[in-house]
Amino acid sequence: MAWVRALLAFALAVIAANAQTPPRTADGQPDLQGVWSNATITPLERPSDLAGKQTLTPEEAAVYEKQVVDRNNVDHRTGNAESDVAPGYNEFWYDRGTKVVGSRRTSLIVDPPDGRIPSLTPESQRRVQEAETWMREHATDGPEGRSLAERCLLWRTAGPPMLPGPYNNFFQILQTREHVVILSEMIHDARVIPLDGSPHLASDIRQWTGDSRGHWEGDVLVVDTTNFSGKYSFRGSDRNLHLIERFTRVSPDTLLYEFTVNDPTAFTKPWTVQIPVTKTKGPVFEYACHEGNYAMADILAGARAAEKRPQK
Amino acid sequence: MRKNLAIAVASMGLLVSAAPMWAHHAFAAEFDSTKPVKLHGVVTKMEWINPHAWIHVDVKNPDGTVTSWMIEGGSPNTLLRNGFTKNSLPPGTEIVVDGYQSKDESNKMNGRDITFPDGRKLFVGSAGQGSPDNKSEK
Repeated sequence: MAWVRALLAFALAVIAANAQTPPRTADGQPDLQGVWSNATITPLERPSDLAGKQTLTPEEAAVYEKQVVDRNNVDHRTGNAESDVAPGYNEFWYDRGTKVVGSRRTSLIVDPPDGRIPSLTPESQRRVQEAETWMREHATDGPEGRSLAERCLLWRTAGPPMLPGPYNNFFQILQTREHVVILSEMIHDARVIPLDGSPHLASDIRQWTGDSRGHWEGDVLVVDTTNFSGKYSFRGSDRNLHLIERFTRVSPDTLLYEFTVNDPTAFTKPWTVQIPVTKTKGPVFEYACHEGNYAMADILAGARAAEKRPQK
Repeated sequence: MRKNLAIAVASMGLLVSAAPMWAHHAFAAEFDSTKPVKLHGVVTKMEWINPHAWIHVDVKNPDGTVTSWMIEGGSPNTLLRNGFTKNSLPPGTEIVVDGYQSKDESNKMNGRDITFPDGRKLFVGSAGQGSPDNKSEK
């Protein structure tokens, strides 16, 4: 009977391997290429009123999804003109997705278990507060006082690390033997990640989006990013951010994207996010943000016009 | 079970209202909430540009003169994914725009709501129409 057990074990191993082995590139790497979307209505952090509730039941998820879509589709006329201006335009232009993540988790953050970003260190709180104050005081002095997104330089969810945003949640992965390229639709970034085992840049060379190096751990692409300048802050991170991203093709249409934020000078502990990303139809459209950014001139012109008006 | 579901759903109100509302830039910095504008005009062109599309309209004044306005919308990428094309809003189309004027008091406004004269919405749809929830390559 031993041979029967051995045969059975072999058959099960083959089935398991077939179920989990992703398609391969010509170079034999797991093939992660294609256009993907991380749109989801699951929030990054668990809302406080769902504290302790890690996942929704299928029924709850269905009700929640309907609520979100219904809510998003009403015109946001609240009677308050200021809150009416903020959304800018009606819902048709947004594309947040309509579904919670497949795991039905109530937050994209999986660690810490409370689904919340750990507290900032006192030093980091002070830094964030100072930056916010500076932005407020210099908001309309010139373009430098506006956010990096408004200046068409960086989009806050385009990464690294990547998160779902209000629209254009698309990115494309391209692979060669020695590089992976991640092209984000927002704002236009193409992140070129060496896989050749080369070390990170010297520690005195700092970049807004850091220096990314990748390697394969089995079928998982692991991307290690350091050398951040600190001029772009991810949820309070500073120049010591050490980001580890993991990409796993768990099914033909699903890429599991995970990242861990290690930044002991900014956060009181590390935190980890999991987002199942869906294969989708391309193309990723050109964003060409700066060329059409009339709003920057309008915002500054509005401030100059206000300065010329007689004070009441 | 029903009670639990009701509690969970009630508590989701916060979750729903916490959905991000932000666009590429702060509309409150560009447009003036004290200057609501409603105009009825004729489309002269649409600029399919990022970060925001702009619709140009001519509005006929009571004295017969014409004033040109520019109306800011969202990213056109989503419209393209929903099947909206360059021919979907041809010059000559009459529209009614409800929004707020720019702070520099030029003839620019946000397209808070855009409808045809008979009340039909110009842009009708739901969040997530272009996302793979509805349009996977399968």
